[in-house]
Amino acid sequence: MTLPRSEGGPAVERTDGERVSRSVELDAAPAEVWDALTEEALLAEWLADEVEIEAEPGGEIVCRYADGEERRGEVELVEEAERLAWSWRREGGGSSRVELVLDAIAERTRLTVIETAPLRATGPLLLAGTWGAPLARLRTAVRLVLA
Amino acid sequence: MPQPQPSRDAAAGAVFAALADPTRRHLIAVLGAGGAATATGLASELPISRQAVAKHLATLGRAGLVSQSRRGRESLFELDPRPLADAAAWLTTVGAEWDTRLADLQRHFKG
Repeated sequence: MTLPRSEGGPAVERTDGERVSRSVELDAAPAEVWDALTEEALLAEWLADEVEIEAEPGGEIVCRYADGEERRGEVELVEEAERLAWSWRREGGGSSRVELVLDAIAERTRLTVIETAPLRATGPLLLAGTWGAPLARLRTAVRLVLA
Repeated sequence: MPQPQPSRDAAAGAVFAALADPTRRHLIAVLGAGGAATATGLASELPISRQAVAKHLATLGRAGLVSQSRRGRESLFELDPRPLADAAAWLTTVGAEWDTRLADLQRHFKG
């Protein structure tokens, strides 16, 4: 875990249970950030090497990477310039849900991403959100065992 | 102790059920801190009977979180961190992926 950094790289970091979240400030208004989240050409600059997205509920999202990996999923939530969510699954892997939340801060935007893996899809090893505290205790125990 | 290989979903259910109980979480913490222990030894550190400890250890064993071995007449129980290590690996990988993507996105808007 790292403390929030003022400006620059990914700032607020939280990792507990099966939930990963990150938050960054971007030098753009929410409407402009929204384009970068929903237009294929712009998505290809940061999300994956090649992205297909149908930015409406039930639409398809496909991400392709230079190493041949492909992830496919479905857009679940579209609230223009505010929230976007999809579920995706890598080949042979479990599915997870990604939610992107935009908050206007003056002329800038705070973008928060939360990726969660539901228990059913990820098999025995992932712990659902409400298990954050037990997982933290278990991690402590594991560190002690491995030390 | 060899155990039948449960299906993934069954194993998932077992891990969650195992973690749901505060006494079992306490047991895991004690095993983590003290290493392998007998049911009798564990009972001395918890406000429950040896029989209750044995029952909880069986639940943890089904979840793959505790392994059992023999030492003479005694059964030794040990925490197995592997299911937790796999969970931690997922968190690390997914977190690193977003760090990279969001750094690229920030660069896009600075460009």
